[in-house]
Amino acid sequence: MKQFAALLRKDNQPVRYLVVDDSVFARKNLIKMIEMFGGEVAGEAGDGLTAIAEFNRISPDIVLMDITMPQMEGIEAVERIVRQHANARIVMVSSVGYQENILAALQKGAKHFVQKPVKPEVLYEILRYVLSDDPNAVGAPVALAGEHRS
Amino acid sequence: MSRPPDDRGGELRALFFESANEILQSLNEAGLELEARPSDEEVIRRIRRAIHTLKGDSAACGFHRLSELAHELEDVLTPQVAQARGADLAELVLTAADSFGAMLTCYQRRKEPPAVDALHAMIRKLLEAPASRKAAVSAEPQLPGQFAWTEYEQLMISEAVHRGEIVYNVALRIDPNSLMRAAAFQLIRNVLHGSGTVIALRPEDNVAAATVEIVEAALASFQSEERLLQRCRIPSIVADVRLERAANAETPEHELLGDLLEAQAAKLAAGVADTHESALASSSSSSGSAATAVAESTLRVDAARVDAVMNLVGELIIGKSMLNRTLTEFDQKHARDPLRAKLADAMAFQARILDELHKCVLKIRMVPVEQLFRRFPRLVRDVAKQCGKDVALELSGQNTDLDKGILDALAEPLMHLVRNSVDHGIEPAEERVSAGKPARGTVYLNAYHQGTQVVIEVRDDGRGMDPAQLRARAVEKGILKLDEAKRLTDQETLNLIFESGFSTASEVTEVSGRGIGMDVVRTVLDRLKGTVHISSQLGRGTIIQLRAPLTLASIQTLLFRVGGRLFAVPLSSVVEITRITDPEIHRVDQREVLRLREQILTLVRLDHLSRLRSIDTQPVRKKHFVIVIGAAEKRFGLVVDSLVGEEELVIKALPGEIVSSDLVSGASILGDGTVVLILNVPAVLSRLSRATPLGAIA
Repeated sequence: MKQFAALLRKDNQPVRYLVVDDSVFARKNLIKMIEMFGGEVAGEAGDGLTAIAEFNRISPDIVLMDITMPQMEGIEAVERIVRQHANARIVMVSSVGYQENILAALQKGAKHFVQKPVKPEVLYEILRYVLSDDPNAVGAPVALAGEHRS
Repeated sequence: MSRPPDDRGGELRALFFESANEILQSLNEAGLELEARPSDEEVIRRIRRAIHTLKGDSAACGFHRLSELAHELEDVLTPQVAQARGADLAELVLTAADSFGAMLTCYQRRKEPPAVDALHAMIRKLLEAPASRKAAVSAEPQLPGQFAWTEYEQLMISEAVHRGEIVYNVALRIDPNSLMRAAAFQLIRNVLHGSGTVIALRPEDNVAAATVEIVEAALASFQSEERLLQRCRIPSIVADVRLERAANAETPEHELLGDLLEAQAAKLAAGVADTHESALASSSSSSGSAATAVAESTLRVDAARVDAVMNLVGELIIGKSMLNRTLTEFDQKHARDPLRAKLADAMAFQARILDELHKCVLKIRMVPVEQLFRRFPRLVRDVAKQCGKDVALELSGQNTDLDKGILDALAEPLMHLVRNSVDHGIEPAEERVSAGKPARGTVYLNAYHQGTQVVIEVRDDGRGMDPAQLRARAVEKGILKLDEAKRLTDQETLNLIFESGFSTASEVTEVSGRGIGMDVVRTVLDRLKGTVHISSQLGRGTIIQLRAPLTLASIQTLLFRVGGRLFAVPLSSVVEITRITDPEIHRVDQREVLRLREQILTLVRLDHLSRLRSIDTQPVRKKHFVIVIGAAEKRFGLVVDSLVGEEELVIKALPGEIVSSDLVSGASILGDGTVVLILNVPAVLSRLSRATPLGAIA
């Protein structure tokens, strides 16, 4: 199994994740990968409503969100989370063939998407990219923008 | 940090199969619903979701053929297809559930999955129906770095430069491996918008993006070139980036700009209204999630762990009775010691807690009977269809709890019973109508608790069973002799159907009536220390009751001694206890019998039955205790030397090499360390019936 350099927050703490998927199996799969990346799974949810509650409770650094779920689908959960937390980093996890849904999720504020079956190396790059985003840098003066080098 | 891949794979596999089976179950249920209400969009959505999850999970597990099949199926399950071909879709979903099941079984046994041509053919047929696919709008792919902005856009660029912003021309090549171009384009748009002000963009909207390879933009930003490049290199989306400063355009004309800004503002306002509307629409489609929230708080635990806890609780119960004995001894020696009361109090407290603990642990193993019942709607539908009958299934008592092990064991017998009810019990529609019954037959499944037992009842309103016909058949099959058959009561005759090799179907059908099946019912119930009871009224229907203990782990027993050895029988099978003297025992057919309230009771002596060697030689007694034991409709009297008392025993399974007799179903240890053997009542009964005609055991 490939080894990955740990993905850490700017304060050198483990990145905290919220994993949302109605399939226990898919969650477990993602959690294993997160652990390989040196991350910490702060919460899990099997539907959109629980995901929102968990987000408010644990304020994760990254949310991995499935799209098709019972009760509340991922897209609506994204919308509601982003409405309250504009800086939320949400990565959609879904299969090929759900382009319209991913499109909708991205329009609602999801930061990225990854296709199932999730390959660890792909997810790793995506997470690194999403984490390198400094929300404060958006439209801000040049001085702040170089912060990712630290 | 990462665990060895093998370990991870194994655990995931197990989890996969578990959840995949749940998905299949929900597919079956949804398929039946779809059959009842074709083109119900909610049901189709649910099916799609289930198949979608299966697709993702199986792909992650490396089961590609399953995943591909699920993918194909998912494509078919669109609302449009459902509108046109609703009824066919139900059949497709049910067939798919079967095919998936077959594939899963093969994967589980690490075999190649079977070909699923039938399903493929069905999918193809459905797709031949008028397709409603939108023709993709083709866009002429542009060369990198064309940056052909319109006059208006050039104007905007100049404006931005005048304000002191840096304007970049950006070209991004979408990863050729990306299958979701529109989504990729949207993500690029998001990133660009997050990095500054997008003045121009090619392509302009998502529709054109379906085939696009290169995205071009004019971006006004305060961010450094390096930072922008980093933001634009979106993993798994963007393969290549080109970034350059835009050349300064001509001086803008301000009046024109004002008009343009106004138009832009109006456009923005319209956009906002749009998003608001769609937000309303999507929120109205969601509903409450209390049920799933509950499901979320459940744990999946390895059954072996629960069993370990159960065993420990068992040991604690033995420990409790050890303490009790010691306290009794202490009592006798130091009757006036004030410590005695304190000890007794502490022990009563501990006993109460232990009792609670025991109940809690038992509850862990308990699952609602619904888990078993839910597979029957599909079964009844299939069997009824095969037989060309119209049969409804009514379920009740789904919330009745029972031990998971027992539930699993009951699945097969129950399946046989339900199958038989539909196949043989329910008459064809014409026959029903001419008998004054509704054309549609009904099979009822019910479950409830009765004392320490759970009762599962299969009832049908079919033709019932004819004892005379059964007798004739038993004779014909050589199971009974004619005179034996004549002696049987109707009830005993009905019980014949559980004999092996007995089948009531006048001809063997594909569905049931192979003569095996009904005897499986009894074999399983015997193993569970349960019973089967059947009652039937000709022309009205049949009821079969399966009774099983609520749990296998511990039972209330009656302890007794025979030949100096300690035995136990389940208290639930004890009917009464009586004392007799030698002269009351009569001999009939080389068998000891007792006349008890006008009924003849066969007597059983354990020492005779199992050639048990007596370990203490006591003088032959004149008076005996007889424990009357009943299982189902049969009774016998057990002659014992002395009664010891009631005791709750935790059953320990005995390995086959230790006990050679089937007369003992398990063993237990008493507080003082004595080993007790637990009598297997059904086995004793069958030993009796083999030795004598059935009629003698009334």
